[in-house]
Amino acid sequence: MKTEVAIKTAPNFQDADAFYECLLDAHQGLSREQSELLNARLILILANQLGDTPLLQACIAAARQAEPA
Amino acid sequence: MLETPPAYAQTAFTNGYEFTQGTGYALPEYPFVAPPELNSKQIKRHPIVIVGGGITGLSLACALARYGVEAVLLDEDNTVGVKGASSRGICYTQKSLEVFHRLGIYERIAAKGVQWSVGRTFAGADEVYSFDLRQQSNFNLSTQPPFINIQQFYIEGYLVERIYELGHVDLRWKSRVTAFTQNADVATLTVETPAGSYQIEADHVIDASGSHTPFHDWVGATMQNKRGDDRWCIADVRFSKHPPVERHTWIEAPFNENRAVWQHLMADDVWRIDYQMAPNADPDAVSREDVVRERLQRQFGKDVEVEIVWVGPYAYRSRCLDKLRVGRVFFMGDTAKIVSPFGARGGNTGVADADNLAWKLAAVLRGRASATLLESYNAERLEAAQQNVQVTNRTARFLRPADGMERCFRTAAIGLARQYPFARSLVNTGRMAVANTYTRSSICENTGGQSVQNVAFRWADGSQGAVNDLLQWADGDLLVLVFGELPAAGLQRLRQLAGHAPVRSVQVLGPDDRAQAREHVRDINARGTGHLQGACHVFGHAWALVRPDGYLAATGEAVDGQLVAAVEKTLGLR
Repeated sequence: MKTEVAIKTAPNFQDADAFYECLLDAHQGLSREQSELLNARLILILANQLGDTPLLQACIAAARQAEPA
Repeated sequence: MLETPPAYAQTAFTNGYEFTQGTGYALPEYPFVAPPELNSKQIKRHPIVIVGGGITGLSLACALARYGVEAVLLDEDNTVGVKGASSRGICYTQKSLEVFHRLGIYERIAAKGVQWSVGRTFAGADEVYSFDLRQQSNFNLSTQPPFINIQQFYIEGYLVERIYELGHVDLRWKSRVTAFTQNADVATLTVETPAGSYQIEADHVIDASGSHTPFHDWVGATMQNKRGDDRWCIADVRFSKHPPVERHTWIEAPFNENRAVWQHLMADDVWRIDYQMAPNADPDAVSREDVVRERLQRQFGKDVEVEIVWVGPYAYRSRCLDKLRVGRVFFMGDTAKIVSPFGARGGNTGVADADNLAWKLAAVLRGRASATLLESYNAERLEAAQQNVQVTNRTARFLRPADGMERCFRTAAIGLARQYPFARSLVNTGRMAVANTYTRSSICENTGGQSVQNVAFRWADGSQGAVNDLLQWADGDLLVLVFGELPAAGLQRLRQLAGHAPVRSVQVLGPDDRAQAREHVRDINARGTGHLQGACHVFGHAWALVRPDGYLAATGEAVDGQLVAAVEKTLGLR
């Protein structure tokens, strides 16, 4: 599917460090399986905040391309 | 049609649905009559030959008969349904019911079948979400209900009887097509019967012979296939205790080792309970009567008496042809595409295929449209087929996620759905079939392509009518609905148009509008005003060009050259 939507790549966080800390804290004490499930739930919740189909497709494509060599 | 099924133990050919247990159904049998070709040295040429007397082929035959178009239908069997096996399809959509209404068998279906509109989805013991289709605007305008459940063979039987009543179509039972060739001039079929073989020629061949069709090889059709490892087992049963008249689905049923279960009702007080099996399950073992009974007891309790009517394990696959027309052959129903059963997108889309091609064949054969009109069958129904394959494949992936991340996301979605409404939209236990919209049709303007519900209105004399009555009156011609009062020039143009094109027009008036055209109706029914206008997706002064299959070809405002152009386009003339 075509994804011609430009995603935000410049910082948009009000507080990047605080978000990152909050994300890591949420995973504290979880098994790998529980963490994977938390991530999956989080992705679904965040995706619903965006809602826009081309934008979601562009985000997924960007995540897929960013895989390290 | 037989009402109470006596014992019928014979197992036979099936379409992936193996009959293994139960009392089964008795099916009507039709006589083989030796065709005139058998005693003649001459090969007779027929304008239309339909191969296959399932729900799709019979719907096409019945629609052609209603237009008075001659056709021959060849069926390898002498009955409807699959001999010894149960009904296959059980769930018929509003659009199919509207088609059956036009064909004249709706009343029988409504009397025999069971109406439902509420669906509930459970995960474990929790209800995850529910819907009531009667509350949804895309269902609540029609005089037909959102769904009726009934065994497929009943509908097929009603169609056969209706075709015998209408005439025009020669139903040839016990006639198997064993060879086929085609060239620029003609198609030739070799037909094997109990009384010998013969050949017939045809201008148009419609292959509605089902998933095992030999025509794909004969014409070199290409297709896309997908095969998974999901296994299911159907139990059609009668109970001493009745479940609610609703569609229930479980994604993770505690009484089925946390696999999916479907619970659906149909005619004769029979319930279809469909159990998802382990991917490596042995079909013979899971369909053994004692195993089936134990499974039913886990779900309904030990005190419930169960009569097993039919049991059948099945696996599904998906397939979609790349083109639905190859030379003189049109593919429809299961020869066009195969889908998993989730959402009732198999039989219903076969009926829609048939309804789409029937009016086009009739218009071309009766000299009212260009032969290029037939090309639009491929564009419209291929789009529908591809969409239905995509939708059902998505459901299949939700119901049988791959181990690892696919299962993780499903667990996440189900967990969230218990709490948050947004996540319920991700839970996919089948998206119910709809009348597919045509977005890339060569004969629809971009204002058209949607199905018009069979809305009720008032005739000029105050009695009730519905869109299907207007379509019936138009008898295969295009129908122009003109909403509101008209300037004199508009009236004049409508008269001219009807004078030189296969078009009939009707003025649709609000409660207080002044009637100007001889043919007029009022957009009022028991539930309010403006429903017909709403069903045509127009407002105020407007026109809607409706095709004989109840689809919008185009809409517009003033009665002008745009309407004339739309009429030409819809008949394949430009």
